[in-house]
Amino acid sequence: MHKSRNLILWFFVFSFCLGDMQNWRSHSANILPQKRWEVGLFQPFRYGYSETLEYSAYPLWFFIMPNVTFKKSHENFSGYNVATRWSLFYPTPILNMASKKGIGGFIDPTFEIPPMIGFSLSLIMTKPMFGSEITLNSGIDIGLTFGDLDARSNIELPLLYHRLSVFHNSYGLHTGLDIENSITKKLSTLVDVDFSILPGMDSKETDSGISKILGEYSLEHKFLLIYEKSKRFRILTGYKFVFGEYPFGPESRLLPFLPLVDSWIPMIELQWGRSLR
Amino acid sequence: MRQIQFVIASVLLLMIAGCEPFAKSYADTSVPKMYEAGNVSNFDYVGEPIKVITWNIRFGAGRLEWIIDSCGEMALADYDSVEIIMQRIADTLNVIDADIVLLQEVDIESKRSGFMDQVQFLLDNTNLNYGAYAPMMEVDFVFSDGLGRINTGNAILSKYELTEAERIKLSLRTDQSTLVQYGYARRNIIKAKIPDLVQAGKDFYAVNIHATAFATDKTKEKHIERYLEELSSISDNGNMFVSGGDLNSVPTGSTIDFCANDMCSNDEIDYTIEGHEEHREGSYFGNFDSEPNILDPLYNLYQPAIDIELRNLSEHFTHAPSTSISSDGSLTKYDRKLDYLFTNKVWKPASGKTHQSAWHLSDHMPVSGIVQLDVE
Repeated sequence: MHKSRNLILWFFVFSFCLGDMQNWRSHSANILPQKRWEVGLFQPFRYGYSETLEYSAYPLWFFIMPNVTFKKSHENFSGYNVATRWSLFYPTPILNMASKKGIGGFIDPTFEIPPMIGFSLSLIMTKPMFGSEITLNSGIDIGLTFGDLDARSNIELPLLYHRLSVFHNSYGLHTGLDIENSITKKLSTLVDVDFSILPGMDSKETDSGISKILGEYSLEHKFLLIYEKSKRFRILTGYKFVFGEYPFGPESRLLPFLPLVDSWIPMIELQWGRSLR
Repeated sequence: MRQIQFVIASVLLLMIAGCEPFAKSYADTSVPKMYEAGNVSNFDYVGEPIKVITWNIRFGAGRLEWIIDSCGEMALADYDSVEIIMQRIADTLNVIDADIVLLQEVDIESKRSGFMDQVQFLLDNTNLNYGAYAPMMEVDFVFSDGLGRINTGNAILSKYELTEAERIKLSLRTDQSTLVQYGYARRNIIKAKIPDLVQAGKDFYAVNIHATAFATDKTKEKHIERYLEELSSISDNGNMFVSGGDLNSVPTGSTIDFCANDMCSNDEIDYTIEGHEEHREGSYFGNFDSEPNILDPLYNLYQPAIDIELRNLSEHFTHAPSTSISSDGSLTKYDRKLDYLFTNKVWKPASGKTHQSAWHLSDHMPVSGIVQLDVE
């Protein structure tokens, strides 16, 4: 039982580290064609519900972190494809699993995580420019807690810390830029930069101006090489770089990073897709 | 072409910046982190005796029932309590008014103590001016018990400037799995020269050690041997030292089995049974034949701050785990001696003190003494 619980936790952390590997389609304002589905090793299941609505969820996490995301397309604006993305997740069960004694304990075992709902809204705009597909996104993240959340119950790891901090700060803001380039018919690259802030979070009394506004921030950058074998299968590889402000100061980390061998390894993701008739 | 070079350079830079080891390891000798108080007050040494103190301050957690060493459930201290205790530790150091302070279990960037830089805090809140810090455990994230980030170690604080500071690596335990050892303590000795205290061409060194606590193999023997080697090299070169720390060893003649004293209610073995075969890690001081007498060479070669005849008296006990319970049900504040001071000079007679009144500030109590540099 302990082993399977640890396995789930480690898979969660590992997939969280790799979980930002979506190809350009999920990042962009483009919606999956109606009745097409896509899924990856570490990616959510995505489904084109209609010509203007796509939904997605991480099926493997669903029972320990219920989650759902909707992407809705809107009218074009100044040549941009426009969409909004609405995400909802409930991290309480997985965090309570991580609050344990012994190996695999990410949170002090005496803490109980109260019911919490995370809500995220993004405006996404995509336009072909300079031979590339450019996507801009901005939005707000809201963390609702229904009980006492101990300030020490965060997890000071890249990717996790700033996402969970939304529950400690009540809200955060994010913005990003994605550039997708085709090299050949089957080979393409994706480069993105995402910046998120938690205004006012953990700022010191002596902080003022921009430091106070930014609070604790994170800058994430990703590079992916995408090989699309067919409409049904593609392979992605690359890296993610995270630079952020933590309670102990700024720190950067190249991901995925294997602690025991102290080395970065290239991320590898396999994705499958198909259209339902 | 320039663009490609720029991209390659940027990627390399990212890889270097983002590929620091998760758990730091160290060379045989390395340079400690050096500190200075926010406001340095000048002390001119005019030949008076030097007061020295050693104290394992337990990261400012006081007598917290901590998950790792005292039957507790909590991994993280309450951050407000840590600030209060650290202030009391600073106040105690100010009252004792030591010239040199040897500290163990000082955190500078640990989640368990609110990421407080305790070396800087003590320098800014005492009459001490300079510091040198050698990490014992520097791990980005401990994936166990909710401990998270830890940066803890040994420090030397001084009124006088410290130079040529060195972190001297001690052997790792051999009774652990690779996974546990990866994120486990890397014990060390920290040594620094104090140029203001040079006497007749003889250099003066402060040497601080925190030896292994929980090893069940011969790691402790290796630590004490390395410590003796370091002290001998100072002495053999005709120089002076004051040294000490948490040796995690009891004096010859002491009780060696504290398993029953330290037992937790949920321990699977009943250590109160006479002749129990297995022993609690850290509570038994007879893991190898010479362990009960492991400190004899130190006592034979150097001067202890607490006289050899007094070392097993209860008034000089310096430690008991936070949750040790006496037979009458009350908390055992101290029941063994683990903390020591030695010099190759001469202690001022009767100056050695064990400050048991500070029992509530840590699970170790400070030991102090006054060393006379001008007496042979």
